[in-house]
Amino acid sequence: MTVEMMIGRGREAIDMIVDPGSFQENRIGESEFSPELGPGAVVGEAKLAGRDIVVIANDAEAINERFPVVYFGVIGMEEAYKMAKTVYTVMRQDAEKAAGEKRPLLLIVDTPGNAPGKIEEIFGMNKATGAYQLALAEARRCGHAVVAMVIGRAISGAFLCHGLQADHILSLSPEFGTMIHVMPLTSISRITKLDIERLEQLAENNPVFAAGPDFFYRLGGVDEMVTELEDMPSAINRHIQEIEAAKAAGVADCTGPMYHGKLGEQRGGRMHRRPVIERMTAEFAAVAEQYL
Amino acid sequence: MTDWQALQQKSFYEATARERANGIVDAASFTELAGPRDRMSSPHLPALGEAIEFDDGVVTGVGRVGKHPVFVISQEGRFIGGAVGEVHGAKMVGIFQLAQQAYAQLAAKGADSLAERLPAVVISFETGGVRLHEANAGLLAHAEVMDQIQNARGKFPVIALIGSKIGCFGGMGFVAAATDLIIMSELGRLGLTGPEVIEQEMGREEFNASDKALVYRTTGGKHKYIMRDCNQLVEDSIGAFRTALASALQQPYAEIARCRRIGSEALVDEQLALAELSCEIQPQDARDVWAYFGNADAAAIPEQTTADFLRTVRRRP
Repeated sequence: MTVEMMIGRGREAIDMIVDPGSFQENRIGESEFSPELGPGAVVGEAKLAGRDIVVIANDAEAINERFPVVYFGVIGMEEAYKMAKTVYTVMRQDAEKAAGEKRPLLLIVDTPGNAPGKIEEIFGMNKATGAYQLALAEARRCGHAVVAMVIGRAISGAFLCHGLQADHILSLSPEFGTMIHVMPLTSISRITKLDIERLEQLAENNPVFAAGPDFFYRLGGVDEMVTELEDMPSAINRHIQEIEAAKAAGVADCTGPMYHGKLGEQRGGRMHRRPVIERMTAEFAAVAEQYL
Repeated sequence: MTDWQALQQKSFYEATARERANGIVDAASFTELAGPRDRMSSPHLPALGEAIEFDDGVVTGVGRVGKHPVFVISQEGRFIGGAVGEVHGAKMVGIFQLAQQAYAQLAAKGADSLAERLPAVVISFETGGVRLHEANAGLLAHAEVMDQIQNARGKFPVIALIGSKIGCFGGMGFVAAATDLIIMSELGRLGLTGPEVIEQEMGREEFNASDKALVYRTTGGKHKYIMRDCNQLVEDSIGAFRTALASALQQPYAEIARCRRIGSEALVDEQLALAELSCEIQPQDARDVWAYFGNADAAAIPEQTTADFLRTVRRRP
């Protein structure tokens, strides 16, 4: 068993996962990206178990010279639009292919956040991260299998952007130093004025606020924990097949965020979501004819 | 004057979430769903020593605008800054699901009936995004709402109203960006990273959050209108927002969908070109961008009335 930190090693993770030597950076079919564009995002095509896939990863070593707040895996405007453009390119090139033949998208996740800066706010960073999420949701809904593999940091809005729109989400187990959270417990402690020990105690029975992949697993935000680095390729491949089979069966919301909501209830982590939606549905049914 | 007529005169900025929900749809047409009487409050806050609200900080329901059933989400900034937790997020998702149901029922009655009575989802944002006390559940709910917006594409419009005290930041900033049409007042603020967070992360030199004029220049309604990040700028009254919403819903769906800023490859290309332009201009302040787009007296813009601003402003081409 190999246990080593994978934080900051997005490029190495690509090589660990895809077929040896198969990754072609900045190339998606006939399309090519400029290597200068959004260097914090690594995109390209590769093969997994002999099958063509498209990879979108973070590069923690890249510095975006033109956007000083983008470094150490931060997703900036260029990065997010490059990621979105990659997804649209795959959808366009595969538009005529049947659902099971469309290329799967693999998101390798190691990002600490979306770029926080004045220029980003002036030009609308919210659009950039939104654009990538809409592209992923569309790809997922039109038949591409989208798998996210968390290898390092999956923090707050950056995880929403790069990960949470996937059909299925895998995470390296906590021994690898994997971080999934909105805020570390120290910050929650500052806000709630409860000490860390008390918060840790509360988190044992309620996963909604504490930091860590285990809590996201219990809430249905992580489908499966991968416990060996060597298992990443086979686990991802297995999930691609599961996703494609589920979609072929034609059941609505059998993958993706709505499915993860149901999974969160099955695992006892999100017990209040469904009763709320059911109550609203029942109350609307009673008045619907006034409106429809 | 009825209560509803009085609401029309009221400042949108000062109004509560329930006042906004009632006032933006036709008189006496609003039915609240999962309202305070249902006591669907956060189960997580009491354990952390926090007070609860029986609506969990969001008013959800259905009203009418003309013949259109309008499904409303109205966030309350007075309760934990309008932040989204498990129940609040589920109420948002529930509204989208009801709109989908209504769409399917109306579509079954035929294309003419559907066009005439097309449902809409309207979100009156007042939020900083994820509620930290139940952050993980709040984050996952954001992903569901984004998926629901994508699922509404090609079917019915999703419209954002932004003009309340807290503004619209954090994860809800990109939820708003993903809607079809954004209506703001000049007091509305929209962004991703809130001013205090930028200052905390990047230092006061990058952004001084206590400089309110700077905050408005960077995130306020006038700036977003110049950038075409909001589609319509209206006066600060519930009536002005309602009028803009009603006239938008008179448009065919395809016209409303044309107001989007993201959601297709062509739009991503346009935004990417804008990101490249930011490198070219290297603005120190939003005023530099206003001047670049042809507003010679950029310094005067913050002082203008909304009406004067709309008469003279030059927007991004």
